[in-house]
Amino acid sequence: MSSFLWKIGGEAGFGIMTTGLTFSKIASRLGYRVFDYIEYPSLIRGGHNAFEAIVSDEEVHGLKKEIDFLVCLNKETFENHKARLTPESYVIYDPDDFELDDKYKCVSVPFRKILKEENGETVMKNTIALGASLALMSGEISPLYDIIERQFARKGESVVSFNKTFAKRGYDYVREKYSKHIVPYLSRKSSPEKQIVLTGNDAFSLGSIMADCRFYASYPMTPSSSVLGTLAAWQDKTGIIVRHAEDEISVINTALGASFVGARSSVGTSGGGFALMVESVSLAGVTEIPIVIFLSQRPGPATGMPTWTEQGDLLFAVHAGHGEFPKIVLAPGDAYEMIELTMKAYNLADIYQTPVIVMSDMHLSESHKTVPANIVKRLIGDYKIDRGKTISKVKGETYLRYKLTDDGISERLIPGVKGYFYQANSYEHLEDSHTTEESVPRRKQVDKRNAKLPTYVTNHFQKPNVYGDLDRSEIVFVAWGSMKGPVLEALRSLNAKQKSYALIHFTHVYPLSEEKVRPFFPAGKRYILVENNSQAQFGRLLRQETGIHIAEKLLKYDGRPFFQEEIVDYVKK
Amino acid sequence: MAKIEDFSGYAPTWCPGCGDWGIGAAVKTGFQQLGFDPSSVFVVFGIGCSGNMNDFLNAYAIHALHGRAMPNAIGMKLANHKMPIVLIVGDGDFYGEGGNHFLHACRGNHDITVIVHDNGVYGLTTGQVAPTAPQGMKSKSTPAGIIETPVYPLSLALTQGATFVAQSFAGDLNHMIDTIKKGITHKGFSLINILQPCVTFNKVNTYQYYLKNSYKLDANHDVTNYQKALEKATGMNNERFPLGILYQIEKPVFHEQVGILHDGETLIARERFSDYDSLFDEFI
Repeated sequence: MSSFLWKIGGEAGFGIMTTGLTFSKIASRLGYRVFDYIEYPSLIRGGHNAFEAIVSDEEVHGLKKEIDFLVCLNKETFENHKARLTPESYVIYDPDDFELDDKYKCVSVPFRKILKEENGETVMKNTIALGASLALMSGEISPLYDIIERQFARKGESVVSFNKTFAKRGYDYVREKYSKHIVPYLSRKSSPEKQIVLTGNDAFSLGSIMADCRFYASYPMTPSSSVLGTLAAWQDKTGIIVRHAEDEISVINTALGASFVGARSSVGTSGGGFALMVESVSLAGVTEIPIVIFLSQRPGPATGMPTWTEQGDLLFAVHAGHGEFPKIVLAPGDAYEMIELTMKAYNLADIYQTPVIVMSDMHLSESHKTVPANIVKRLIGDYKIDRGKTISKVKGETYLRYKLTDDGISERLIPGVKGYFYQANSYEHLEDSHTTEESVPRRKQVDKRNAKLPTYVTNHFQKPNVYGDLDRSEIVFVAWGSMKGPVLEALRSLNAKQKSYALIHFTHVYPLSEEKVRPFFPAGKRYILVENNSQAQFGRLLRQETGIHIAEKLLKYDGRPFFQEEIVDYVKK
Repeated sequence: MAKIEDFSGYAPTWCPGCGDWGIGAAVKTGFQQLGFDPSSVFVVFGIGCSGNMNDFLNAYAIHALHGRAMPNAIGMKLANHKMPIVLIVGDGDFYGEGGNHFLHACRGNHDITVIVHDNGVYGLTTGQVAPTAPQGMKSKSTPAGIIETPVYPLSLALTQGATFVAQSFAGDLNHMIDTIKKGITHKGFSLINILQPCVTFNKVNTYQYYLKNSYKLDANHDVTNYQKALEKATGMNNERFPLGILYQIEKPVFHEQVGILHDGETLIARERFSDYDSLFDEFI
């Protein structure tokens, strides 16, 4: 088997996510590539949580429907997910919770009994389940021991060894009772490559630090919140300042204040919080203060479905802010691209002195993916901080903050330099930054700001990436942002057959260049737009900006990401 | 040493007789007497007749969105805490649209001085009631008189944690200069509410009204006595307006409690962090 899917479920509040991440990290350490996904309601206790990881020899990008291993910490897990089981699926469960017939490969492990014998707490069921899973797949127990040691080191040796007991009990039980079921799916690879296991939010956090972001402000909002926690925890180590402000309006205005005086700054939120920030996005546009905005989407409108996924805010992001001003929107497709484009976003914000939005969604923000440590190191090595026309010394006597230029970008003097002063003026202004309502300078300042977009398109716009053989393919998928993963997984299955399929994937979603994008869409092919929303927002944007119209759409908007099978089945029918 | 004129930008466009003229002169004089020059002070202007001082006062400044001057200033302070920061805002701006930021800035004891032009009306939009308007005041937006009781800024600031709470009067230049200087010199969050007649739109709170209803705190008012300060502040509920410093205490300011700023270096002047490997560790 080149890849398999492991899923665990249980009651909310009992550590399913931590357990899942532990599994992903173990698979990563043993040399496998992993992509995982969590499902949880907007509750702290009382609901159902589930976590699934797809593990493979090769890079994995998205989920599949079939569950190969289902670990049931309660009966509900089995009931909720049995539709995705096949006769080949392994089901690990406690016979004290429910009975199973042998429609599946049943592995019964007495979680409750072991807990009772060892005087364990309910949450330690997870550790038994992890031990049992590793045994069943020929994984070693040592990486699990190592993670337990790290997790409980502060609580002392007795807590560490107590927790290890449960791992060992689960591990030994399966090795003794189910030796015939054991499969070699997780046996250690020889000289495994060093990998890091990152969510999109982790990747944004790392990318921010690597790009020398010094100020991050946020108000907690799922699914962006873990960036706030991660960066806040890194303050002492990295020197970044993180402010949890009273509301999102304060969030973005604090960041704009910090950016105005020279600190690379960003904010993070989801749709509702971003809606509150919008007036200030416009402020950043006219005052020409750099700002990076991390926008992790969830299904709206209003409070919507906080813990689920959707690509429903693209047109909102693109059009956010009253009045006309330039804006750049990037949409990474996976954790690696999130690091890369986050780092780029800070440069673009400084170079163009305007808002740069980095789009994510729950699917990208909260799913882990393995990324080889070396390629991340290469990114850092290749990265150059580019602050554009930011200056700390003025050449000559006069300084004009909003000086008219051909590329639309004026020198930005870091405030505080002796002998000068200027204002970041929210009113329309003259070159020297004083307020104006005169027609000619107004028109010239609008033209100056607008000129940034053609400059960007020439210098920094990146064409879509093509996966598969575009020339040979008659069927071509078009996607943006986090839909890259599911489509790539679908391509893998489809291209195994005779026919050829390709994906055109956009990461630089706004502005778009007709001249640069048009050549990707020769006539005579079947183009299918794949989006995680109901209104085909990227399709509309593409048509608006380039005139390219994609009539055929595959849309999903039930809060869940695409399974590869849904895409495969769609083109097959 | 800078001269007062060095701070003078465009000629002001305020109405003749507007209290803003006096406040503008007091701010410039105060800056000059503190030894500032236009490059050594950060100012954030709100939106309104008060915020229009942006073109009349020379400094490194943000002319913010309506209500949002406070968070801009907090970001500026955290990124470069060595610069003094002054807010020039109005009552509608700071107590209405930006009311939430006001409450939370008091809690944080950010080292920022806020000068509020309190004239009870929205002048720039031609005279609707502001949150500080006396109950029953008629205006274009409240033809039958405003139903709400006013915001009491001094009481609010005191109860939310401000460490310098003062009030002055636009008709008393020397009192304003003195209060502004003390507010800026104070380390911590300073609120200076300046009672200011709007000669065009507010026919209630006139110069005569304030001369009649305000009084200067006497020389032995104990500024460290919280209860006394509250007592004076709540006098405003009955149209008794104290002038002077009601309350001033020393408390740790926000930026000094931010771990990485303990060494005194500003955020923008710090060395770039580069030990990325140490961050990878938690993702393995």
